[in-house]
Amino acid sequence: MNSSNPGSQHLSRRALMKATLATAAGGMVMNWGGLTGCAALAEEARKQKKHCILLWMNGGASQFETLDMKPGQPTGGPFRPIDTNVPGIKICELMPHLAKQMDKVAVIRSMRTSQVDHPGGIYLMHTGYQPSANVRFPELGAIVAKYTGTEGSDLPDFVKVSTNGDAGAGFLGPKYQPFGIGSEGNLPIFSVSNMDPAKEAKRNDLRTFVEERFATETKSEVAKMHREAYDAARRLQKGRDAFKIDAEWAKYKELYGDSEFGRRCLLARKLCESGVAFVEVGQSSYDTHSDNATGHRGLVPPMEHAWAGLLADLKDRGMLDNTLVVWTGEIGRTPSINNRAGRDHFVRCWSTALAGCGIKGGQAYGVSNETGTEVKDNPVTEGDFFATIYSALGIDPSTENYAGLRPVPLAPFGSKVVKALLG
Amino acid sequence: MFNPAKPKLRYQLTFEGSWPTSVSFVGSSRKLVAGNQLGQIFVWDLPEKPLEFKADPKSDRQAPNVWPVRRLDGHTNEISRLLVTPDAKQLVSASYDRTVRLWPTDAPAAGKTEVILNADFRKKEARRLGKKEPSTAPGVTVETQTASTLLEGHTDWVYALGMSGDGKRLVSGDASSQVIVWDVDTRKPLNKWSGLPWNHIVSASLTQDGKTALVSEYRYKRDDFDVPAPALKLWDVATAKETFDILKVQFPKLNTGDRSYGGSQLWRKFISQGLIATAFSPDGKLIAAAQGGETDTGRVHLLEADTGKLVRDMSAHKSGITNLVFSSDGKYLITVGRDTGVRVALVADGKEVSTQGTPRGGQFNDWFSSVALSPDEKFLAGSDIAGMVQVWEFEG
Repeated sequence: MNSSNPGSQHLSRRALMKATLATAAGGMVMNWGGLTGCAALAEEARKQKKHCILLWMNGGASQFETLDMKPGQPTGGPFRPIDTNVPGIKICELMPHLAKQMDKVAVIRSMRTSQVDHPGGIYLMHTGYQPSANVRFPELGAIVAKYTGTEGSDLPDFVKVSTNGDAGAGFLGPKYQPFGIGSEGNLPIFSVSNMDPAKEAKRNDLRTFVEERFATETKSEVAKMHREAYDAARRLQKGRDAFKIDAEWAKYKELYGDSEFGRRCLLARKLCESGVAFVEVGQSSYDTHSDNATGHRGLVPPMEHAWAGLLADLKDRGMLDNTLVVWTGEIGRTPSINNRAGRDHFVRCWSTALAGCGIKGGQAYGVSNETGTEVKDNPVTEGDFFATIYSALGIDPSTENYAGLRPVPLAPFGSKVVKALLG
Repeated sequence: MFNPAKPKLRYQLTFEGSWPTSVSFVGSSRKLVAGNQLGQIFVWDLPEKPLEFKADPKSDRQAPNVWPVRRLDGHTNEISRLLVTPDAKQLVSASYDRTVRLWPTDAPAAGKTEVILNADFRKKEARRLGKKEPSTAPGVTVETQTASTLLEGHTDWVYALGMSGDGKRLVSGDASSQVIVWDVDTRKPLNKWSGLPWNHIVSASLTQDGKTALVSEYRYKRDDFDVPAPALKLWDVATAKETFDILKVQFPKLNTGDRSYGGSQLWRKFISQGLIATAFSPDGKLIAAAQGGETDTGRVHLLEADTGKLVRDMSAHKSGITNLVFSSDGKYLITVGRDTGVRVALVADGKEVSTQGTPRGGQFNDWFSSVALSPDEKFLAGSDIAGMVQVWEFEG
């Protein structure tokens, strides 16, 4: 069976009409799962029980104040590099905890991406695709949820904690929409039922009865999605303890660092341990057009402490081999320092990092030139980045989904897996 | 005695290549030092009589340049503050290289070297003339000085430096929240303490007698929803005990453990992006604490030193303030900031009596990083990040 052939699955006339009409209108093109192929691939990926945690540096962390320093250059900035536990790899002095985990991390110092501003960059680095008026591309989390998530799980497969990006499930449909929780990591109020369980069960029986009757008479994707969403919300009641970290925080505060980002990272680990396929954890405020050094002095220490703690914790629990930790924002920052003491947006050469899940740690892939203005060696595009992530997660990046009738590979056409990053 | 009347711009000292960050006079209005982000410190000897100057209509230069005579070598990162003892025998420098240094001002030269201090001008000229590379013409020959005494004890960037009235004591503060009070004669710490563990010491001052320290703490947020509380405290130097927290006087409900966004709204308007410049008035009765960073309006809070109560806000710059100094009679407060302004205001009523400086940056103005008043209070110097130290004479 050609798993990427849409014709290999049943396609209802109504769904086909919907997709066709939407395509013709040039508007929102939904797939909603019913049009997707690759069931076998999804099953294979699911068997591997891999997870992904995306550490999202919203606003665009500076590579010069984190992973690709240029000491001695006129605009190198005031920070100094420190050694790591990998000979030859130096990172910013603001990252002493990460320096001790560098053997697990593959730094990419040669990112060259195509969206220089925030909305486009956030979309790009969440989906691998440039924003398009015609196609709503799904976020990385939605794809990971689809291919490695667990059908019928008590917990959502795609969780976002204090983060940005609104592409969501895109054409994959509501089934893979992210479950968003706030900066403090608590479940939203609506997710907790205060109703007497017996009464709630009765209500659910009635709702199920009505919906099933409706379903027998009306083939509606929307109604189906509503049922699934309702069922997922009910199942969440059983799994909501996975979101509670207060009792554990005292034990892990030192490892993750006493910060909100540290708490979010601990929550991410706990959710993955509980079976969640994809968790995105955000940290805000990296858009340091003014006072870049001051800003990074505030932001980087709690972030790197938590990042390093997460890697150590995953390793200790035997989870690192199956959990990919992605560190990125939407953009890098300029080599020059403006007269507001800030660094502006820059995408010609910047840095991201990967760890775990078969990533060959302890390496710096790609080289920027002396001043950080250009990639000198081994450029990595957004497509390459996403293709490599999918490969690490056991998902073939050339797998196609369908936006209406248009085949869309997980990573854009022409993307290359950076094999040197894979162990 | 300082009189802000009849200011005249006497010199524009070219100090390009890296942002000048601090400036100070050394014993007279004729000798001046300035440091930059690279950790270099240069010394200028200004002529007794101002040089003749004829403005070039093609240039924005408004006063003559004088090249420096000496470079002090030792620091390896940004100079955050420069102060000079009242007897003019010691220059004190604080740096992001985690050290404080004492430089004898009468030390013999260690050697000579050539320096280029007009790197930006050379680049502009090359562009104007259509050349690919800037001129490689020789620069300026200056003496070098390496003789200095290291005051070691800080483990992170030293942001803050203050001095007692007699120059016998120093207070320094760093980005690990450590404060050290030093005895200048023995070069040893007299006492040390720490602020709130998450904070950076962004400014520190001593009373004239050196017995009380004013310490301002702040750190940039760790996230929009993780904003540690700042502090502005008076400390007894002898016991290293907190006398009182001015912020708690201003905001009795302040909970320093509350890092939430909501909690930060209590103090945000008062602190803005940190009270990064502080000073006691010469009589010790008042405290000036100025809002820094990029902000809509940079204000100075004038506070009673014995109660912490707000007397008034004054010197509204159009962005954050970077440095301030009282005149010796306590009558005037001089502030500089990111709005490229040197503002002189009356302490008695906050009324602004003089404004110097004009924007010379691009989209955003290049700001003044530091200000200094000469011992005779006839001259005022301001360093700006576009690479210039500007010197005004107040003919009063």
